[in-house]
Amino acid sequence: MTRSVWWRRFFVRGVFWRQLLRFAVLNVPPWIEPIVMAFWSTFFLVWGPGRRGVMRNLKVIKPGSLAITNVFRCYRVFWNYAWTIADNVRFKELRTIPDWEFTGREYFEEMQTRQGAILLTAHMGSYDLGAHLFSETSTRRIVMVRAPEADPQTREYEEHHSTDSLRIAFNTRATELALDLLETIREGGIVAIQGDRVTGSISSLPARLFGKPTTVPAGPFALALAARVPIYPVFVVRLGRRRYRLMTSRPIEITRSRNRDDDFARAIEQWMAELERVVQECWFQWFTFEPYWQEQAP
Amino acid sequence: MMLNVAIDRPDARWLPSRHRFAVARLIGYTRLGRARSAVERPEHLILSIDRDQTAGEMHLAAFWVIATVACYIAASLPFALPLSIVLSVPLAAIAIHLPVVLAGLTLRALTGDGDHIKLVSVMMMTLLLIASSYVATTRSWARYAAWLFFAILLLNGVAAIILWLLRGAIQEAEERCAR
Repeated sequence: MTRSVWWRRFFVRGVFWRQLLRFAVLNVPPWIEPIVMAFWSTFFLVWGPGRRGVMRNLKVIKPGSLAITNVFRCYRVFWNYAWTIADNVRFKELRTIPDWEFTGREYFEEMQTRQGAILLTAHMGSYDLGAHLFSETSTRRIVMVRAPEADPQTREYEEHHSTDSLRIAFNTRATELALDLLETIREGGIVAIQGDRVTGSISSLPARLFGKPTTVPAGPFALALAARVPIYPVFVVRLGRRRYRLMTSRPIEITRSRNRDDDFARAIEQWMAELERVVQECWFQWFTFEPYWQEQAP
Repeated sequence: MMLNVAIDRPDARWLPSRHRFAVARLIGYTRLGRARSAVERPEHLILSIDRDQTAGEMHLAAFWVIATVACYIAASLPFALPLSIVLSVPLAAIAIHLPVVLAGLTLRALTGDGDHIKLVSVMMMTLLLIASSYVATTRSWARYAAWLFFAILLLNGVAAIILWLLRGAIQEAEERCAR
């Protein structure tokens, strides 16, 4: 093993932190867990790029906010992130499930009963845990689309520790993946995609969030149009220790017209309105550690 | 997958089996009888039945542990009391981590990879007991924290006896609530 590869484990996205988290989940008594969470949330506050990314995003979500206030808000984001990733590992390793509340249940049940649907979510709360849990309780086949881990060792580790019930498709091979997902929907399955940010070189569409221009992945909207199924905005929000709320909103229907761009624009407008409402309300759970609005970067 | 849950029963929040410590289980049982049984808000509720599910209990226990350890550390530091108190909080957090890491690694080496929470939990409580026994006998101001530690243990013991006496009624209440 070369020196550079050895060090890579300890980078912020390195495999060491995943292994440490799993070790903690299997060894830390629950009655000292809050101490451990508080300690590591403070430790990761030292991670400059992540902290600055969150603070820059907070400045847009909460205009006019003071930098010092946003440092504390940033801590709250890290604190929530620590709990959600721990809950996810706890479910995978110990089968411990948190408490769940539902809002918009009629839409959630509609999604589960119809033949094929797209579940559009954001990097918010415990989307991983929600997908894993519902893949095990739902009668529908669920395929989760996500960006692969940047670090090869971390990617390998995550693949090794993933559960069998949830199929994860990585968005690296766009054409093949699109056909696979179309097939899944046509067979009555549910495709879960994160639609709040564009990662890598995937195709995107223009949008506006908090009045500022941005881009969102084009995939879910193109897939919905091709498969003629609605998109269900679903958010998994952490309410407290081992307590989550699953919020499903009114589905986004993409109706075909002569102008495909207009069809997409209408759907994206509805999605962004939902996303903005939820991010405004639950900014402390929007786990976007890079500056979301790139033009804001100095 | 079989899940041990209570569905659409908000009163199940107070199930004794959702609490770890005897005092909390007893409080849970007394609240269970008075809690609402029908779900009002949100539309659908799934409550996990797990001993470590209750946030208030776990946060309170964690606060008690770190405050106790911080007192012991602050009393042993050779600085002025305000500085010792400030330093003792991060030092207590580190001191709590050390036995967990050492025990976790040792247990992994001895018994293999897996869930060691129960063993680490017993070991941590034993260490706290040993430290408190020592501090309680000293003339330091931290002895009051040690006495409080033993008072809480005693209270928990009394609650455990009451729970044992009420075990039939508790089981009945749990069965009514969970499914």
